[in-house]
Amino acid sequence: MTQEQTIQATLHILNKSPSHPRFATCLAAVHEGDTLALAENAVLAVTDSTTSLPRNCVALGADLEARGLAGNPNVQIISYGDLVRLTAEHSRTVSW
Amino acid sequence: MTTLIVIDQAPYGSWSGREALDMVFSLAAFDQPAALLFIGAGVNWLRKSQDAGGIGQKTVEKNLAAAPVFGVEQILAEQSACERFRLGEEDRLNGVELIPSVRDALDRFERIVFAG
Amino acid sequence: MSPGLSYTLVITGAPWSSQAPQTALAFAQELIAAGHHIDRVFLYGEGVHLASALSTPPSDEPHWPGQWADFLADNQTPGVACIASALRRGIVDQGEQARYELSANNLRQPYQIAGLGEWVEGNLKSDRVIYFHGSH
Repeated sequence: MTQEQTIQATLHILNKSPSHPRFATCLAAVHEGDTLALAENAVLAVTDSTTSLPRNCVALGADLEARGLAGNPNVQIISYGDLVRLTAEHSRTVSW
Repeated sequence: MTTLIVIDQAPYGSWSGREALDMVFSLAAFDQPAALLFIGAGVNWLRKSQDAGGIGQKTVEKNLAAAPVFGVEQILAEQSACERFRLGEEDRLNGVELIPSVRDALDRFERIVFAG
Repeated sequence: MSPGLSYTLVITGAPWSSQAPQTALAFAQELIAAGHHIDRVFLYGEGVHLASALSTPPSDEPHWPGQWADFLADNQTPGVACIASALRRGIVDQGEQARYELSANNLRQPYQIAGLGEWVEGNLKSDRVIYFHGSH
């Protein structure tokens, strides 16, 4: 095992619906400074009254649009190209 | 760089946990450091005295017991999940280390991988 | 952003039971557009269904396996289906058909069937390994 003194920021790609157990597991694991990217069913989090999202939270625009949630302003909307950029910028990505 | 394979699916009801185990064994076979973490319902993989003959499957307990032999560095389990599923120390396979949370594992391992 | 990174993409979600192949394809197209390189696309677990040559959605619906195969061919990107996952789920190439004396093969071009060693190599050599999982 390697224990690093400084933990580099992690990109979390979450595609599970807020009612999936892994959704809560992911949210509990997001550190300050990490970025959470919501994809697929996870974008329902923007309209889930029981979810409070971390500060650095983005959501795929195509998935929001598909579900009628593109007008929801409480996260930054990103494109697939933006998601590519985020994976390039982060040395670590965890797909949940 | 140690890869932590995370299993959050209960045993037997789906194949994804077994395929996660294949991943960890494959890393070990290529001399790559690997470890396992069981969370949520996945901790039920670690229960002693499993016998899956009656449901027509092979018991996963034997595969797991062999993990250290094949070079899997560590087997970790989420403490709260063990408590939830009443998996006390006497109920668990030997050599399992409890960790407080998945967040803790993220601090300790560089690569975190779910199998599906 | 640092251009020119190498990626291994791992797809574990199947078409029609998950959105993983669609998301992964949109991601892969943008990777190429941004000047990155895809070392391989590795299909694992349920993801191997993407490599079935027999998937035949209605003609007015998108054909995810066909779109993925076209992308791999156009970009000369290796597509690899995990052999253990594939054989269990009835995805078979000519070699495995002969070995197990099966009545047919159905691996879609240009996929290859290979072991998890391909995934291990991705972990060792690619700058990034990105996973596209199922919904369940």
